[in-house]
Amino acid sequence: MILIALLLPSIIFLGIVFGFPLLSYLWLSLHANSVLTSFRSIFNGWANWNRFIHDYRYWQDFLQTIRFSVASVGIELLLGLIIALILHRPMKFRGWIRSSSLIPWALPTTVMALGWRWIFNSPFGPIDQFTTALGAQSLNILGNPSTAWIATVYSDVWKTTPFVALILLAGLQSIPADLYEACRLEGASASSCFRRITLPLLMPYIGLAAMFRLAQAFGVFDLIQVMTGGGPASSTESIALYAYLNALRFLDFGYGATIIIGSFILLSILVASCWFFVHLFNRKRSIMITK
Amino acid sequence: MMFSRRKFSSLLLGLICLVALISTTPALVASQIETISILMPAPFADSTVKLVDNFNTLYKNQIHLNVIRGPRQTESMSDLAISSLLLGDTPFDGLLMDITWLPKYARAGWLEGLDPYFDETDIADLASGAEKGNDFEGTLYRWPLVADMGLLFWRTDLMNTPPKTPSELVSISNQLQTQGKVPWGYVWQGRQYEGLSCVYLEMIDGFGGDWFDVNNQSLGLNEVPGVEAAQWLTDLIETGISPRAVTTFAEPEALRNFQSGESAFMRNWPYAWAELQKQDSPVRGKIGISTMVSLPGVEPASTLGSWGFTLLRGSNHKDAVIKAIKYLTSAEAQRVMFIEHGYTPTVKALYEDLELIQDYPHLALLSRALNNAVLRPETPIYAQISDVLQRSLSASLTGEEKPKLSMNRADRSSEQILVAAGGTPS
Amino acid sequence: MKFKSSLIVLLLVWSIMPLLWQLYTSFSTDQALVTPFAELSERWTLDHYRNVISSDPPFFMYLANSFFVGIISTLLTLFVALPAAYSISKLSRKTSNYVRVILVACALFPYVLLFLSLLELARTFSLGNNLIALALPYTALSQPLAVLLLSSAFVSLPSELDDAARVEGLSLIKRFRWIYIPLLSPAIASTAILIFLFSWNEYPIALTWISDNSKLTLPVAMARIAGSSIHSVPYGAYAAATVLGAIPLILLVIVFQKPIVSGLTSGAIKG
Repeated sequence: MILIALLLPSIIFLGIVFGFPLLSYLWLSLHANSVLTSFRSIFNGWANWNRFIHDYRYWQDFLQTIRFSVASVGIELLLGLIIALILHRPMKFRGWIRSSSLIPWALPTTVMALGWRWIFNSPFGPIDQFTTALGAQSLNILGNPSTAWIATVYSDVWKTTPFVALILLAGLQSIPADLYEACRLEGASASSCFRRITLPLLMPYIGLAAMFRLAQAFGVFDLIQVMTGGGPASSTESIALYAYLNALRFLDFGYGATIIIGSFILLSILVASCWFFVHLFNRKRSIMITK
Repeated sequence: MMFSRRKFSSLLLGLICLVALISTTPALVASQIETISILMPAPFADSTVKLVDNFNTLYKNQIHLNVIRGPRQTESMSDLAISSLLLGDTPFDGLLMDITWLPKYARAGWLEGLDPYFDETDIADLASGAEKGNDFEGTLYRWPLVADMGLLFWRTDLMNTPPKTPSELVSISNQLQTQGKVPWGYVWQGRQYEGLSCVYLEMIDGFGGDWFDVNNQSLGLNEVPGVEAAQWLTDLIETGISPRAVTTFAEPEALRNFQSGESAFMRNWPYAWAELQKQDSPVRGKIGISTMVSLPGVEPASTLGSWGFTLLRGSNHKDAVIKAIKYLTSAEAQRVMFIEHGYTPTVKALYEDLELIQDYPHLALLSRALNNAVLRPETPIYAQISDVLQRSLSASLTGEEKPKLSMNRADRSSEQILVAAGGTPS
Repeated sequence: MKFKSSLIVLLLVWSIMPLLWQLYTSFSTDQALVTPFAELSERWTLDHYRNVISSDPPFFMYLANSFFVGIISTLLTLFVALPAAYSISKLSRKTSNYVRVILVACALFPYVLLFLSLLELARTFSLGNNLIALALPYTALSQPLAVLLLSSAFVSLPSELDDAARVEGLSLIKRFRWIYIPLLSPAIASTAILIFLFSWNEYPIALTWISDNSKLTLPVAMARIAGSSIHSVPYGAYAAATVLGAIPLILLVIVFQKPIVSGLTSGAIKG
């Protein structure tokens, strides 16, 4: 039973940091706990949930977060795959190229978020300077509610594509090279071999990367808070930022907890459906391959 | 030659004691001086530099006031202060606070009551209207530094007297616009931000209603005056009296529009007066200010925005901070703030100073507006209900929703917030 | 071949360009930033760096704070995760798979959502504004990844080694010290670097647990610098801070590139 003793500290840490919050959020969501109650918890049944369901701001943020996540992760998977394919073959300076492309991922998000604010700044940032020099109008990307989110997607893609590329690269390197060679020897084109051999075998990695990135993107906070503050007009606000504002600006902890647990439930549903579809897809694929 | 271990350690101990003694001596001497700090948003930190220096010279060897320069964005400053206060840490002694934050900070228990330090004579010295918004649930928590009131600016060259009622404003605008004298009638702050709440407050009160009744914790957004106010503002855009772009206007945009002579009326704060009277202003000398329009028989309303000093409960230098506050808000200090930076005074003496009135005749109008100042809902959850109002009203102004529906929604959402946060609405 | 190398160049440019732009901005005067194409006599300046370094508290304090928390988190995590990983590697296949699934679920979880309870813990137990206390949530959050990586490493150890050591009569602690840790040093190094990186870059918890100016970690300090200025174009100072903040990490990545990559990829494979 020494084994259990060795395992215990880790379990305690995990329990406190993952188990306790979820239970505490559930409990808090059924109580009023805000500056109005002087931070004491007073049971008030479904009031927080009633507010949550009718909260226009939350549902707008929810859609915005989904939009951000899907766009970001989609682009990252595509670019990541391309980069992984590039880095797959041995080449000179591969180590250097790999580390340079890892740098975006290693930097703290808030450090570069300021940089992005400047790059997208209107009218002095380089992008606007470029467009005005060409004679077009200043774009004011961050000032326009319909385009600000695109800037945030771009920053997120810049930062996390290396991570995705790395995972896909690991996947590529686990595929035996002779499978691909055999396919080419049969006379098939590179792209069709890619489609029939490489891609299906890469699917688990793509699925893993997608799931991981989607879950992370769903909780996007650092980037949004520092780059746009949620603006303009809350068009880039994410649910994590909204939960944070409710807790630290509005001092409403009961409702903050409701938002978090509600989002967690929604996220679980989304991840479960994703996983379900990937599973279904894999089953279909393996049936097709064996045919 | 080797030192014995014991000799070495006793030598080391002696050395440590000596160093400790030397390093604490200056501290012992310095502890005679009380160092206090006040957190202020960057613009105020910069405009009070001279006053703070004078204070420090006056109280040399007794008190040293350090102004902590907070972020320019005032919300960020509050976030900064709250993040410390929530952890039980009080990194500064005083805080220069916006009027709408007071209920929140007071209810959270972070502020020290100021009743022991300011008595009736002090309060009587305040200009009428400036005493509003400084107390919460019966206790005084804040002492005002500068006042700000919503004003109606009008073009003296286009009309003889300013309008008194909403319909007068509309008809004068129509007239001037059809005559081609000005492209637009009335510009105001219509963007989805706190400024919109200020505009709306003036109108709902002007139509005889009430956004939030503190006494019975009830909302009046979806009642007749609330809907009428929203309708009136929406109609201004629909009928072309205000440009569609007004839904993107904050104070600077409205000012720019009015300053270039493009409209007959503008709603803005007193700072705009100084801007409009600048040498290069096209409308210099052609401006009048008045109170906002209201229905006949209803008192015109002017949203009060003011900044005042609060004392934090965790401070160890309360008396020193009070001295600093009294100095920075004294009549002399206020004169400097008014003349050099254009801040509206809160002390009665300045409004009765004949010399000052001669040099700055608009002071009389400012005094009247301050007298009519109304407060935004005094509740700790003001930030949330203001946000709800801004969103709903914005949907109306941009034509996405009918005013009646949007005000219904605003009322319902505000009520849900109140209940969920532990309030008891009626 | 030409196509491929141009793609590689594009990749490099895309990765490094924003940083280079920050570098350029950090050395430009404010005037030059506002009128970039004009001819200016004063284009370059070291003022921004001077301002950032001599600010109060000094910029290097933030780097030191981050470093301190990083080291403590890494050591504590390893201290807790190594025994746990050993345990798991000894479990039956079925149980260890269940455990893995749970750990992967924890690793997937967007930990930002935990900030509210963690704040509550900080308030209740007065853990705020304490860099050592901050290492506690970081340790907990790094457990899933660390245990996953280390337990696969343990599994890959030949069991004969373990048996032989036991026969020799070596106690568990001795076995750890003399056999496991030395043999697993590459995996431990990868895990340590990843934990250090996570702790250095972590933002929401540091934001809510630390409010004292002198105790801020780098990401929180940068965010504060973002909101502090009264000027409308303070970007020179931001850029200088960005460059200074980025340098330690760039060095870290270049030096520890191999362990980082192997850590991430083995994590992916096992996951």
